[in-house]
Amino acid sequence: MDPCDDVGSRHHAVEAGALSSGPPDGSTGQKDVQPADMLRIKQQMSNQCFEMAVQLQSGKSKRSCSTSEAGRELSEYVNELDRVKTIHFNSTLTLHRMQMWHAIGEKLKQNDSEALALKAENDRCMNLCSQIKQLQQESRVFQDEITEIQKKRLEMKRLTHEKMKEMDELTSKAGHPDTEKYKAVLERGQANLEKYKKMTVMTQNVLRGILLACKVNWMDDPKLRDIAMTLEECSISD
Amino acid sequence: MSLLKPFSKLPGLNSANILLVESKEEFQQSLADALVQETAFTVNVRLAKSLPLPIENEESRPRIDLVVFIIDLTSELSFQSTEASLKCLDPGYFLGKVCFMVINARNAAAPIERLDAVRKLAASLHCPLLFTEGQTPDGVANATERLLTILKVAAGFVPMATALYLSNLTRSTVSPDIDQPSFD
Repeated sequence: MDPCDDVGSRHHAVEAGALSSGPPDGSTGQKDVQPADMLRIKQQMSNQCFEMAVQLQSGKSKRSCSTSEAGRELSEYVNELDRVKTIHFNSTLTLHRMQMWHAIGEKLKQNDSEALALKAENDRCMNLCSQIKQLQQESRVFQDEITEIQKKRLEMKRLTHEKMKEMDELTSKAGHPDTEKYKAVLERGQANLEKYKKMTVMTQNVLRGILLACKVNWMDDPKLRDIAMTLEECSISD
Repeated sequence: MSLLKPFSKLPGLNSANILLVESKEEFQQSLADALVQETAFTVNVRLAKSLPLPIENEESRPRIDLVVFIIDLTSELSFQSTEASLKCLDPGYFLGKVCFMVINARNAAAPIERLDAVRKLAASLHCPLLFTEGQTPDGVANATERLLTILKVAAGFVPMATALYLSNLTRSTVSPDIDQPSFD
């Protein structure tokens, strides 16, 4: 495949190029390149070479499979890749840690001024660590106390809530049966009132009819006039 | 037809080359100015209106690490030009070396169907889709930062990460109900 050959030849050229590279193009005034920069550039080139190698390899082995299968496999591979990367990173971290401790140990064995400084630093670190531990202990104790107090407060709240509920129940119960009886009595009373009102109105109408029919002159007689006036005030219900 | 190939040239030492393709050529200028401010490594920004690139520059053009298509959602021409340009790109680029950047997505003049179409395009090509706001310096700075992150990986500056790996983590997907009418 044409692009693959292209990539292959470039791959080799880059390897050769990376080994004999001079200062980078961007820094025109800088004569001596820092070793860190060189390492970085080397890292970049190795990354590029890796990509091209991947491209070459994918060109070589080709098999046909469906898209959904490819998708599933892809997610599996990505998970696997993540897992391996994490393991690698952790191992590198452990390795660096071991290397550092070994170097510190060697330095301390030499017992010169730098070693003394290291020892002093180490003692300071130990003091700080024990202080940290003590403070952590204290804070844990405080935290426990706070939790205890919170529990008590919650308990108090619960009790208060219960008492309030009981009170509500009592007040409602006490008022309840009276209101029921009271309602019935009230209704009966009102019915009676209506009945008597109607009777009064009817008697008043009858009396008025009698007065009119008798053709009595009620305006002159004060007693009759009073009665006649009150007859007008009656409420005309229904 | 001349395709733009990802591996046909040697990579540059301590440098990264990015190609901004925009049919209107407005946003790419400010973005380019912001991109070259990067000091850790040399960023070479090439601007283009559309692909295929002119043959005259074929020899002097360096290897392009990242191709960014800038789509303005308020113009149909932008989207169509991008679609036509995609055909001139070698398939090897779509493994993590292509990125879509959408501007003016918040504009009321942008129809929703175009946004859906852009989303589907990015998802079908397994490329990341970035939304930016190009009128304020903050928006440009934001876009620059995100592009530089992807560019660093594509150019090999990030150890233990390649463009293909990053594309698996950042590729855009469409939800299955993208064809349903949205409730506005």
